[in-house]
Amino acid sequence: MIGTGILKGMAVTARNFVGSYFEKDRLITVQYPEERTPLAENYRNFPFLIYDTDDAEAGLRCVACKICEKECPPQCIYIIKSEDKKPDYMGKPQFYPAVFDIDISVCMSCQICVEVCPFEAIKMDKVFELSRRERFDALLQRKRELSKSNTYYHSICPTEAAEVDAKLAEAAAKKKPTPPPAAGSAPAAEPTPAPVI
Amino acid sequence: MSEIDEGLRSELQRQGIWVTSMQELYNWGRKNSIWPLQFGLACCAIEMIATAASRYDIARFGGEVFRPSPRQADLMIVAGTVTKKMAPQVVRLYNQMPDPKYVISMGACAISGGPFKTGYNVLKGIDRYIPVDVYIPGCPPRPEALLHAFMELQRKIDSQKLTGSEKATHLDSTQPSEFPVPSFGAHDLEPPANPDVFQPPKIERT
Ligand code: SF4
Ligand code: SF4
Ligand code: SF4
Repeated sequence: MIGTGILKGMAVTARNFVGSYFEKDRLITVQYPEERTPLAENYRNFPFLIYDTDDAEAGLRCVACKICEKECPPQCIYIIKSEDKKPDYMGKPQFYPAVFDIDISVCMSCQICVEVCPFEAIKMDKVFELSRRERFDALLQRKRELSKSNTYYHSICPTEAAEVDAKLAEAAAKKKPTPPPAAGSAPAAEPTPAPVI
Repeated sequence: MSEIDEGLRSELQRQGIWVTSMQELYNWGRKNSIWPLQFGLACCAIEMIATAASRYDIARFGGEVFRPSPRQADLMIVAGTVTKKMAPQVVRLYNQMPDPKYVISMGACAISGGPFKTGYNVLKGIDRYIPVDVYIPGCPPRPEALLHAFMELQRKIDSQKLTGSEKATHLDSTQPSEFPVPSFGAHDLEPPANPDVFQPPKIERT
């Protein structure tokens, strides 16, 4: 019959309106600055760099291979490779990024940098309160701001972080017997689900 | 007129007298009745609409009255991709808004061109033609991020002065309130940026 759809719709509206006075669940407005909706585990916003141990400089996983810089579609990553090598968190001498900038005023949260990184060095963050009154300096994130600890990664994405840790541990165990060349260690930690390596 | 000694104020408050200054009253009124202009340009506008809906409810901050006419609006939320075809219209709408007026640049596209930064047909940031007060990075920013920017704008309004050399731009008759509308040139907009508004700093890579 004509009109029943409208009546049904009105009934839903009325139920929610009246119910909002009695049931807590029907009051859906999130009082934002005081109260927050829990973020989904796979929510993502901007990338950050992971470091192991407690030292943001020495523990940085990034080896400045510049793959992410090349792959980033809007070209918002800027890396300058170091001249010298420093031991990474596993004790192997590696290059490190002397400069690592991400222009978050351009970044489109596509996660491609995360997918291409062979060292599990860059992951997506969940911080979204980044409004600034200035665009150029305030929205350009430098290496210091980008570096966050593995513990932090565990706190925002527990499942994914545990998977990554397991993968890295497996890769480390595999290559223990033979002293690996610098380049050989990379494919073992690759995030693609290849069955055998 | 504009400044009250904090000690004196709290002393008076203890006596049951609540004093305010013209400036505080004026800023309080302005910051709690920011009416946005109702226009969205691309996907970010969907998040702007979500911010106005019941879950996030921008009305809690006094910004629920989305005006369909620039003559009645205080705030322009540039939500989405500003194509070069659209840019003159955005500037024209800004010019038609009465003072005081504010601009929030929402999303990567409106700030810098974002995903289309390397393309040929998208303006690389609306701040090339009009002054922007608050930038929200993200693609798209969450509704909470827009509320955060809204509060940032309220803080900015709150700190504006009515008098003196640092007074708010809309009270300063030497500051322009309208900006030249770019025209379509042979290959690009003419001019490609307004040098009075857009002065990018040199970025130090350290
Ligand atoms: S998320 Fe996408 S746009 Fe952002 S830095 Fe990574 S690759 Fe670039
Ligand atoms: S791909 Fe990974 S290791 Fe290579 S530069 Fe980017 S973040 Fe660093
Ligand atoms: S910043 Fe992203 S979500 Fe916003 S308009 Fe541009 S492409 Fe769409």
